[in-house]
Order: sequence, then structure tokens, then C-alpha cells
Amino acid sequence: MDRKSIKEDGILEQYLLGELSEKEAMEVTAILDEDAALRAYFENLEADFEHLAFENAIEPDAAVKTKLLKVATTAEQATISLATKKKSSFNFPIAASIAACLLLSSIWLYTNWKNAETNVDSLQNKTSDLEQRIERLEGDLAGTKKQFQEINQPSMTKLVLKGNAVSPNSVAVAYVDHTAKRVLLDPQGLSQLDQDHDYQLWADVEGEMINMGVISSEDALIAMTYIEHAESLNITIEPKGGNDHPTVERLISNVYL
Amino acid sequence: MFLRAFNFMYTTFFCLDEFGLFFIILITFKLQMQDTPELIHQLQQKNAEALVKVYDQYKGALYGIIFRMCQNKPLAEELLQETFLKIWRKSDQYDASKGKFFTWAYRIAKNTTLNALRRKDDLIQNEDLSVYEDRSAPEPKADYSALKGSIEQLDPQHREAIKLIYFNGLTHREAHEEMGVPLGTFKSYVRQALKKLRETYQQTLSIVGLLIEMMG
Repeated sequence: MDRKSIKEDGILEQYLLGELSEKEAMEVTAILDEDAALRAYFENLEADFEHLAFENAIEPDAAVKTKLLKVATTAEQATISLATKKKSSFNFPIAASIAACLLLSSIWLYTNWKNAETNVDSLQNKTSDLEQRIERLEGDLAGTKKQFQEINQPSMTKLVLKGNAVSPNSVAVAYVDHTAKRVLLDPQGLSQLDQDHDYQLWADVEGEMINMGVISSEDALIAMTYIEHAESLNITIEPKGGNDHPTVERLISNVYL
Repeated sequence: MFLRAFNFMYTTFFCLDEFGLFFIILITFKLQMQDTPELIHQLQQKNAEALVKVYDQYKGALYGIIFRMCQNKPLAEELLQETFLKIWRKSDQYDASKGKFFTWAYRIAKNTTLNALRRKDDLIQNEDLSVYEDRSAPEPKADYSALKGSIEQLDPQHREAIKLIYFNGLTHREAHEEMGVPLGTFKSYVRQALKKLRETYQQTLSIVGLLIEMMG
């Protein structure tokens, strides 16, 4: 493409009418920028075509103008509005508010989570306590059941030890099994002693009192020492922890076998 | 000065009869065809008043092009609006050092119309033809769509060549096939037509320039 061919081959007309490719159009533009004479020729060509268009102008309907202005100004306002909105969307106070809301929500969630965790721990502890209590109760129940079965054995003899004048309100029940050589005592009916004394059970064998054990008040049924050839059972009040020899003055009950 | 100009034009109109009217129209063209950098600058600044002025100045010339290309009044009006919306939105892309404003606007109008006609053709090919039967039928050619002015003075083949490339939007290659002449011959027609038009315009513009000088 040279200056002569541009003018002679109608390339300039095609350039004016927008028929050339982008690359060709750029070449023509570059040549026009450098060649003042060719530029002047092109400007005349533009003027002639423009003249032709104005000579052949047709008046459009007036409604087109109204519609155009409405669309153009609405589109412009929408663009401005959109731009403003876009700008405001990055507003710091709004961003800060959102961040504050997120922070508060996080604190609230953390607090709730902690409370829930504490509740779960508490429930776990209670459950553990309950399990232990159930185990203990089951153990007690099994023990009680066993004792109940033992005292209801046909070989078991039930003896009631009623309190004398020293302790008229006291009563204890002894269960003696000579076959199994066992003695059980229910001390729940004995009067309460002070902290320095305990009850103690004795067996009378040919006039001699033999220790059968200190009576603990904590259990419902206590296993005592079985003594062969015992003629009677005796309960005395002794210093705390029991005594080697019975304090006969403080004998509160006895029963013959 | 304007009163004197009016009196002069009034006298010219009645004394010279049709020649007077012709000269007045030419003066109007000359005034309209002058690019106004300030107006274009305002348009580029998205000044709505500038859009109104640009529309008033170029609507007829561009509508004449669009209407002759599509031969459909409602479509042509729709495309005229679309063309001016593009001019409005893309005005910042116009570079006065590359050419006249009208040349730039003409290319927009032509491309907008050709694209619309291509879309319309696609629709007709892809859809039920009966739906578009009435709408696609060209309207009866109105008298005002016929070419007028200096182009009427050209030889028939020269006139046809200009009509095809400028008012019908055909490329040089499409137009020479349409006319059934070799491309070189067709280019020669265009060149000779433009030479003739240039001579006519130069003569009339000289007279108009003289008249304006006298009015001043």
C-alpha cells in the first residue's frame, strides 16, 4: 500500500466508508498523518460525502428525539447511580459495622459454646455420681438380700435381747446358727451412746465371759464371733473400742441360748 | 447584521425564484456541515444539551442513510436512536485529528444498520417465516427516499455506484457484483462520480461563499 495506490485504487474511499480491515485502516491513518496533500484530498472527500448526505437528508419522526433523550439521560443516571452505589459499597463505616456485627456474633457464639460445654461437664459429673450411687445401692441391696437369706435359714435361731433397768429402751436381735457356727446381731434398737463408749457382746461359757466383739452402730446386721458352748449372750457398755473384761455393772441385756 | 441577511435572503428567494431557494439550502448545508469542536467537546463531556444540538444537526443526514439502507420506517427510526445512543456513549473515542465528526458518525450508523439487518436475516432464517412475513416485507418506497441534489446530475452508472456504496451500505466488492461490472471499472465509476460531485460542490460553495461575504 503506497500513497499513489491509496488515491488511485479507491482505497481512500473504502477507508472513509469503513470497509477496510483494522490493519489496513491503521496503515492508511499513518500515511494520512504524514502526507498533508493526501490529508487535504481526504478531507475534501469527507466533505463531498457529507454534502451528499445532507442533500439527501430525510426528516425523522419527532418522537425519536424524545425517546432518545429519555433513554440517554436514564442510562446516564443509572450509570452515575451505579457508580455511586459501587463507591458507597466500600464505605468504611459500613465495613466497620459489618465487622462489629461479626465480632459480637462470634462472642455470643463463643459464650454459648462455653455454657454448653459447662453444662455437658456438669451432666457428665452427675451421671458419674448416679452411676456410683447405683453401684453402691446395688452392692447394699445384694448385701441386704444375702443377710436376709442368711437370717431366714432354718438352722438360724432368733434371740431378742431386751434392755434392763440400765438401758430400758434398748433392744437387739441376735441370730445364732450352731450348724454354720455363725452369729449375727441387729443393733438398730440399742439406745444411742456418747462418743466415749461402745456396746460389746459377750458369751458366758461356764461362768466365764468371752469377748464376741464390739458392736458397731453403723451396720444393720453385724457378724459377731461364734463361741462354742456359750450358755448366754450378754451386752455391756464399755469404753470406746471395747474392753478385755466385761464391766458387769453396765450390763444392759442378756439372753440364754 | 441578521436583519440584513434575512432581507437579502428574502429578496434572493423571491427574485431568483428556484435558484434563490437552492442557494438558501446550500447556505444551510454549509453552516450545518461545519464541525464545531466546542459542541463535540461538550458531547464528550456527556452534556445532554450538546446531544440535542448534535442530534438536530445530523439527524436528517444520518436518517437518510439508515432509511435507504433498511427501507423500513419503524426500523430506521429505531436504528437512528440506537446510532445516536452509540454516538453519545462512545463520543470520547472520537478523534478529530483522524477525520470529520460526520464521517465517524456515518460509520456508526452504517455498522449499526448492517448489524440489525444481519440479525433480522438470521431471525427469518431460524424462525417461522410466517411470523415475520408482514414485518420483513419492505415498505413501499416513498418518494422522499429517492436520491436528490447533485447526485441527480451524475451519469446513471456513476449515480448507481455512489448509491450502492454510500446509501445502500454495500462494499466495493459487493457493489461491483451488484452492478455486474469488473471491480476496476466500478472503482473508476466511483472516482469519476466523486470528481464530478467535487466540481459541482466547488462551484456552488464558491457562490455561497460569495453570497455570505456580500451579506456580511
